Amino acid sequence: MLLPEYYEFCCSVKLVAGHKALERIPALLADLGAKKPLIITDKGVAGAGLITIVTESIKSGVTIGGIADNVPPDSDLKVVNELAGMYKQKECDSIIAVGGGSVMDTAKGVNIIVSENATDLMKFSGAGALKRALKPLIAVPTTAGTGSEVTLVAVIKDHEKHIKMAFTSYFLLPNVSILDSRMTMTMPPFITSMTGMDALTHAVEAYYCLQKNPLSDSHAYAAIEMISKNLLTAVKNPTDKDSRLAMAVGATLGGIAFSNSMVGMVHNLGHSTGSVCGVPHGICMSILLPYGLEYNMHKSEKFIAELLLPLAGPDIYSKTPGDKRAEKVVELIRKMNDDLYAATDKRHARCLKEVMDRDGKQMVPKEKLIEIAKAALSDPASAYNPEDVDYEDNLMVLEAAWEGKPLDRTKIKKG
Amino acid sequence: MIFSDSFEFTCPIKTNSGNKSLEHLPVELDALNAKRPLVITGKELVCKCIIKKFAKAFGDSGMTIGIFDGVTENPDWKLIDDLKKTYSEKKYDSIIALGSGVIVDVAKMLNIAVSLNVDSRKIVKDPNVKGPLKPLVVVPTAAGSGLETSRFAHFQGTVFSSFHLMPALIIIDPRMTRAESKEEMAVAALAAFARSVEAYIAKSKNPLTDAYAYAAIGFVAGNIAAAVKKPCNKKSALAIANAVAMSGTAMSNTTAGLISNLGQALVEMFQLPYGIGMGICLPHILAYYQKKGGYNIASLLLPLAAPDQYAATPDSSKADKALAIVGDMIKELYETMGNKIPKTLKAAGVPQYMLEDILEKLSLADDATFDKEGYLSVIKSAWEGKPEA
Repeated sequence: MLLPEYYEFCCSVKLVAGHKALERIPALLADLGAKKPLIITDKGVAGAGLITIVTESIKSGVTIGGIADNVPPDSDLKVVNELAGMYKQKECDSIIAVGGGSVMDTAKGVNIIVSENATDLMKFSGAGALKRALKPLIAVPTTAGTGSEVTLVAVIKDHEKHIKMAFTSYFLLPNVSILDSRMTMTMPPFITSMTGMDALTHAVEAYYCLQKNPLSDSHAYAAIEMISKNLLTAVKNPTDKDSRLAMAVGATLGGIAFSNSMVGMVHNLGHSTGSVCGVPHGICMSILLPYGLEYNMHKSEKFIAELLLPLAGPDIYSKTPGDKRAEKVVELIRKMNDDLYAATDKRHARCLKEVMDRDGKQMVPKEKLIEIAKAALSDPASAYNPEDVDYEDNLMVLEAAWEGKPLDRTKIKKG
Repeated sequence: MIFSDSFEFTCPIKTNSGNKSLEHLPVELDALNAKRPLVITGKELVCKCIIKKFAKAFGDSGMTIGIFDGVTENPDWKLIDDLKKTYSEKKYDSIIALGSGVIVDVAKMLNIAVSLNVDSRKIVKDPNVKGPLKPLVVVPTAAGSGLETSRFAHFQGTVFSSFHLMPALIIIDPRMTRAESKEEMAVAALAAFARSVEAYIAKSKNPLTDAYAYAAIGFVAGNIAAAVKKPCNKKSALAIANAVAMSGTAMSNTTAGLISNLGQALVEMFQLPYGIGMGICLPHILAYYQKKGGYNIASLLLPLAAPDQYAATPDSSKADKALAIVGDMIKELYETMGNKIPKTLKAAGVPQYMLEDILEKLSLADDATFDKEGYLSVIKSAWEGKPEA
């Protein structure tokens, strides 16, 4: 167990997990002194029937103040203000956010406005501008991947002024996160596979990047074991509720790990691929993860090798010689991608050239790699990567990931 | 699946551990919206140099702090009422416990009193504390038991329990966590070890309690020998202090079994420190669990041993191997300690005629697995120091 000279760790979110965890909401709200929640969600979640499940599970114990299902895929200040108005008008006293990252961000923004009685959200942006507890917020994630149910960040975009506001505060953490297998049961195999690999990437990067600490390590370790044991089952048998719940818990563990340790190159290149070419985050993560491991192997081989045990179990671990374990980890993650490719009718892309949009058009043309490699230089995640990255190395990794060929590790500039 | 099909987990604590972590305190307090903390400590319980170093770390932060250093071994309710008065008169807004054990219990009681604005007569009537309470910061010294970060407080014979009692922040600073004696270090390490082991094999465990217990067991197993040999060694003392803090979170989220209840019974009936009691009893309890079945003793091997050893040990031998490591660890500790700590309940001064009384006390605890014969055999073998027949 490694003890760094200095570390910080915090996840004050109460976690409630189970096949009937939603039913606990009224009692949890009562503990927080609340009884009239506003439900915030998006059309996709509501359309999939998930809000019906939530309201049926809680309606005997609370008065539902209102249901707002108009959160856009990209958080929007206008919607935040509108929902804050609805909260006040319906005299709500708490928020239940049901959805993915954008819903969580929106709910956090609404919570700042209604708790601080703010007219200008901008005043609270940045780190540490919030000074006291906000209204009770319960997060119900509907994808097992982002970990946004346990993060202390919110990003709200002002589309009129073209600004992106970021908020960081422990007071933004939800009071409770509900991990209920029914909330991910209808997620299609392709989405399950990419969000699952997103969660795996959080955990793996948390474990080999520079700000690792004993608690982020043990959360990451557990996340990797749960995801590797359950992801393929959840993709192949979407209604297998045990593997759905395990994936939800694994993703939350990964979220806790990375938000306490930071991440590295995979996120760095993934963010840029997302912003330059519009590729969904989870796809970028699953494709780039093996390359991030290869790129950093000469610096972090020991840590990467340790991951073979939770990833593959004791048999494979003990049969693999010590100096081959890190490579075996990469091999197995590539195999996971291959298996997911097969299980999703080839929709889970294994390399960047395979990423297609809805019309079957290639999303990452090879000539875009230069732009992505440049954009990655200004991404903050690079600061925590074990090996220093530069433009040439970024491009080299992207080219290999585009083709789907293992990285030629002799060409890495070793710092 | 590696957990039963539902669970809940709460840990409101932020951990800052390592070099100069005390210097972060003003910033952390500000983030908690606290500006005037009252420091609770005891000059008879905590080395003077520690209090001095603590005050110095605040340096020129400009923060007003009050220090009460009068906590003694056996504080009473009058102290809580007096402190409550001071707290309101001087308009403090948060509490820092500098020290471990009883100092933290006093801080927790004071926190109930000032947050809910009640006096001691009211506090004692409701041991299931409703919150929220004021921000509580714990700056532990080496003499911890794991209860500091837990949802429990023990005061004047009553056990208080609530997640609101867990601190908002723990600052584990190596300047504060060096032990003054081998015994102090051994007691803390064994307490953390026993609590984490109980959480790790508990039926009510979940992946989050496992994460804390796993790290804590690993830290104790890897550092106890060095920490006890040289209790002033900064690095190993810091690792043990981390384990102590983590064990409090793990135990707060799992149900208490024989390890917690027997240890607590020995504290209450014979004033035997929890760590000493567990050093004596834990090997016997684990052997009993192993024989009885239903406890995943084998899983302990992973945090106890290197991954290589774990992976190479056949499943059928993992539990025995884990028990052997625990036995060896405690044996080595006893060798280092010489005769400074007792190795049996008999040597600890527990009279033989009271063994049944211990059992009686255990029967009163809320323990669904209570097993009269089995528990008595554990107590008897721990008294004699001989393995169970």
